[in-house]
Amino acid sequence: MNEENQNNMPAGVVAAEGKIEVPAGGIKLSEERKDSVINAWTLALVGAVASLTILCTVWPDPYLDVLAFLPGGLVITFQVTILSILCAIPLGLITGLGRLSKNRVINLIASTYVEVIRGIPLLVQIFYIYYALAKFLQVSGLTSAVIAISFCYGAYMGEVFRAGIMAVNKGQTEAARSLGFNKVQTMMYVILPQALRTIVPPVGNECIAMLKDTSLVSVMAMPDLMQFGRSYAAKTYLYFETYTIIALIYLIITLLLSKGVSILEGRLNYYDKRK
Amino acid sequence: MFRRFLLAILLPAVMATSASAAEKISVACNPTWPPMELLDDNKQIVGFDVDMIHAICKEVGLEAEFRNVAWDGIFAGVAAGSYDLVASGVTITPERQKAFLFTEPYYNVSQIIVMQNGQSAKGFEDLKGKKVGGQIGTTGVFVAQKCGVEFTLREYDDVGLAMQDLVNGRIDAVVCDSPVALYYANKKEGFSDVLTVAFRTEANEHLGFVAKKENKDLIEKLNKGLAAIRANGVEAALKKKWLGD
Repeated sequence: MNEENQNNMPAGVVAAEGKIEVPAGGIKLSEERKDSVINAWTLALVGAVASLTILCTVWPDPYLDVLAFLPGGLVITFQVTILSILCAIPLGLITGLGRLSKNRVINLIASTYVEVIRGIPLLVQIFYIYYALAKFLQVSGLTSAVIAISFCYGAYMGEVFRAGIMAVNKGQTEAARSLGFNKVQTMMYVILPQALRTIVPPVGNECIAMLKDTSLVSVMAMPDLMQFGRSYAAKTYLYFETYTIIALIYLIITLLLSKGVSILEGRLNYYDKRK
Repeated sequence: MFRRFLLAILLPAVMATSASAAEKISVACNPTWPPMELLDDNKQIVGFDVDMIHAICKEVGLEAEFRNVAWDGIFAGVAAGSYDLVASGVTITPERQKAFLFTEPYYNVSQIIVMQNGQSAKGFEDLKGKKVGGQIGTTGVFVAQKCGVEFTLREYDDVGLAMQDLVNGRIDAVVCDSPVALYYANKKEGFSDVLTVAFRTEANEHLGFVAKKENKDLIEKLNKGLAAIRANGVEAALKKKWLGD
């Protein structure tokens, strides 16, 4: 019991109760770590928003002009990111399950997919789908971008899902099966909900990485945030100003998203806190 | 992505320090602009600009070393001193003149709109609602942005990719400098049989070589060299060789 407390009881609960029941070292450590994460996040966000505001108010020309030029690009950036996430997560789940499948054919297909896609840089995949495959099949820039990014991240996420599912104690499967659940029910009602807690943080990170990698779609002449910036810089020669603003915008979006992921993570750990 | 940029900035900088010995100048060039500059089968940068620079440098006792640089960072590099000169079919524009020094004009171009065979347009207004491609940061794109006609402008990393998309039918037209457009429409294998010149703009653009503001000496030297090869007929021979006029 004591050991379980140490592992699962969050620092906040202990502090609220005003007494420490378990060896202080373990809790102190996790508390410090949590604090420092919040601080780094706040510092980065406040820093980014402040620099953006200061730059735009003190030197409206050119910084505000740059900022005013960019929103059009955000639409494409978000469009590509959201569509890719919607495609990549199911793809990752299927791949993860495929990698765990005892059916040799399914397992081989899923494993080969992961090995092949992981071995090819995303930029090459984008060029391949948009320019190389155009010989046989012509898809629009947006479709190519979503296909390339979700195929690439589907492979990475497959590994995340596989690891998350494997991390669930085998006893859970055995218990569910002995209660009469079939394999699908066991996976859907017992294993996956538990695996989700392990899976969400890394999948969240992959989604954030995905948002950043959408900057690669500018090679297909897709007018995303990066492309807008490049176009502006190429026209005005204000490279420093333009890319500073672009970096800050990406940073702010990414920080907000990572906060979203950590809130989601906290929600999923609800039962850990209640214990 | 950012690592790529860092590398693109640092690498030329490191190389520049070793190349800035005595009479050598390093010249940046984006060899995606045939016949002004292109990569030959041996991956060497060749073209009208390259021969012009070598001829000019020979007159004034310099030695040019060419470097392959991406177009949308080419001006940032010369401003940062990563190389001494940009010789890459650069049009002299008032905006660019504010930031950089130009040599005397060495060639005049207009913008040409290339379309697929069978398609036609007499002016930008005929392209209304269509998809027009160009190379990011080139005067073709600027002209298309300023023409006031509503169409989707797609800015590619290099004009070759835009031409490829035009051949594939994903876009309706490509706008670029006249020598490049003529090269793709008349000469380039795989493109010339499907592409045709739709129309060309009236405004003549002048091409010049570019250095940073502080580098007046170099520009003066190059102007002297340019005058010399103009006088001795070398320039005319090069124009004939690469541009057919």
